[in-house]
Amino acid sequence: MAKFSLFSEESNRSPLSRLWRKFKSNHPALVGLWVFVALTLLAFTAPFIAPYGINQQHGDALLLPPSWHELGDVRFILGTDDLGRDVLSRLMNGATFTFGLSIVAALVTTLIGVVLGTFAGISKGFRSSLLNHLLDITLSIPSLLLAIIIIAVLGPGLLNTVWAIIFALLPQHIHSVRNLVVEELNKDYISAFRLDGASKWQILTRGVLPNIYEHIVVIFTMALSTAILDIAALGFLKLGAQPPTTEWGAILAENLSLIYLAPWTVGLPGVLLFIAVLSTNLVGDGLRQVLKGRKVD
Amino acid sequence: MLFEYLLRRLSLLLFMVFTLTVFTFSLNYMFPGELLSNITGQINPTYEQSQELIQQYQLDKGIFIQYLAFVERIVQGDWGLSLSSGQPVFEQIVKLFPATLELCVYALAMAVLFGIPGGIIASVYHKRWPEKVINSLSLLGFSVPIFWLALLLIMVFCLGLGLFPMSGRIGLLYEVDPISNFILLDIILQSFPYEGLAFVDALHHLALPTVVLAMYPTTVLIRFTRDSMLDVLEQNYIKTARAKGLNRRQLIMHHALRNALLPVIKQIGLQFSTLITLAMITEVIFSWPGVGRWLIDSIYQRDYPAIQGGLLAVSMFVILANMLAEFSHTLFDPLSRNQAHGKV
Repeated sequence: MAKFSLFSEESNRSPLSRLWRKFKSNHPALVGLWVFVALTLLAFTAPFIAPYGINQQHGDALLLPPSWHELGDVRFILGTDDLGRDVLSRLMNGATFTFGLSIVAALVTTLIGVVLGTFAGISKGFRSSLLNHLLDITLSIPSLLLAIIIIAVLGPGLLNTVWAIIFALLPQHIHSVRNLVVEELNKDYISAFRLDGASKWQILTRGVLPNIYEHIVVIFTMALSTAILDIAALGFLKLGAQPPTTEWGAILAENLSLIYLAPWTVGLPGVLLFIAVLSTNLVGDGLRQVLKGRKVD
Repeated sequence: MLFEYLLRRLSLLLFMVFTLTVFTFSLNYMFPGELLSNITGQINPTYEQSQELIQQYQLDKGIFIQYLAFVERIVQGDWGLSLSSGQPVFEQIVKLFPATLELCVYALAMAVLFGIPGGIIASVYHKRWPEKVINSLSLLGFSVPIFWLALLLIMVFCLGLGLFPMSGRIGLLYEVDPISNFILLDIILQSFPYEGLAFVDALHHLALPTVVLAMYPTTVLIRFTRDSMLDVLEQNYIKTARAKGLNRRQLIMHHALRNALLPVIKQIGLQFSTLITLAMITEVIFSWPGVGRWLIDSIYQRDYPAIQGGLLAVSMFVILANMLAEFSHTLFDPLSRNQAHGKV
């Protein structure tokens, strides 16, 4: 925005390192990134570092409150549930299912979204119009309803949920990628590139994609936060992960009857879900702000 | 000009309805179970019955004729029978949909009431503390899983403080005959003793589900309004107006707001798709007798005709709501009429 810059220092860093420098100065986003990395690590290592097995029962310790409570036991830091299973171990393993599978779902969605979105972006005329209207229709079906229909066809289960979520998320992401591509294709430098004799493939790989990949990362974070919420919601509705699985939403649903007796078994999975979605959104928002700032200068 | 626009929208609407019915029809084949019971909802019909049904639904003919028979049936209001209850699906939807709609409309009204002023305040105090507070709050609201929020509110307000009831639309003390199926309207329409008390009771039941459902659209509207306002405030005509010597208040009320709120109108209509998704979860938690809970129940019971009917009704509603939003947007904003042409 500033019209005059007094210290005209030229910054010749690469776009990526400039992005990182700006991102670093946004502290909430940085914290979000650290939490995000920690959760990703946890998703991969949870079975090895969890203190107890997920289905290991302790008959002497049923419904123990968290250890800071005066009735708590230091062996079970976050308490136990009604079968004497350690809540901490179950929640740690839940990261693998809820967070890890969401990352997989979001990655697949983004990948297919980018391929189909660029295809939709470069096609013209009748084909483009047909594709867009088909997308509009799938967008008008509420995503959970679409997921439910897919589950009705495939049957409940964790893996089917992932497929359902990928299909339900796809239309809106194809749409956003397509808009990005179309917007980029209308810019002058692409016209110049085309006049130089670049083929469609060259325009895409050299011109468009390098300029939109940060936006695709933002789209990925959006897909991820929706995927986490949807996997948990379907688990909560007992349509996704089935009870012994330690998916956070399923844990929440399983302990729903204990809400009065042992509120921590219901509260803690929700806290983790909240933290996971919040950190993803913080990273996405931080990135979006940096990208917006880049447009200005 | 406007007529041509209407015509184009109408043809788009027809195309969308056509594709939706094709999708719904093809589900008959994709769902597990027998084709005949998936379509009609008759379980284990006798031989004569099934022959008659095959005749009636023209299942012995080619797929195209079958589709036409399906559409004819849908238009006539014969949506098959529910596999679990044996009731006609269409009647059930007519009975249950208003409850969901009621919840969604109140939640949307609340979202508009809080979201748009919130977004405006945030953009007016750009980069100062009110914006930071509103931004952080909206980010929190954006990230909270809705079923967890509902459970927390139940824990605090129902189990802890006992302020609000936990489930249902109205207390068992009051018997309200369904006239329009909108509970508040019904109470007003039929005058019976203790009308005021019944109304207050219904409001009490509405409070928590509405708050839970409104949370997400409110945050979306806050963010959208703020971004739209910030965009408009950077335009040159705003600078001109400022250079003319207008004060902040005049600038925002007369120049920025009118243009910034145009895309917001469209965004409000687009919320319905998300709202229905969230309403399904909310209804399950608060035992709200709406179409969302009914749909979730029908999937537990593998009630395929009901799932199909629900899909058709809900998607039609969302398509119509989106169309209406877009139409009102173009009514207010003549510039957007031409944009849609050819490039979508």
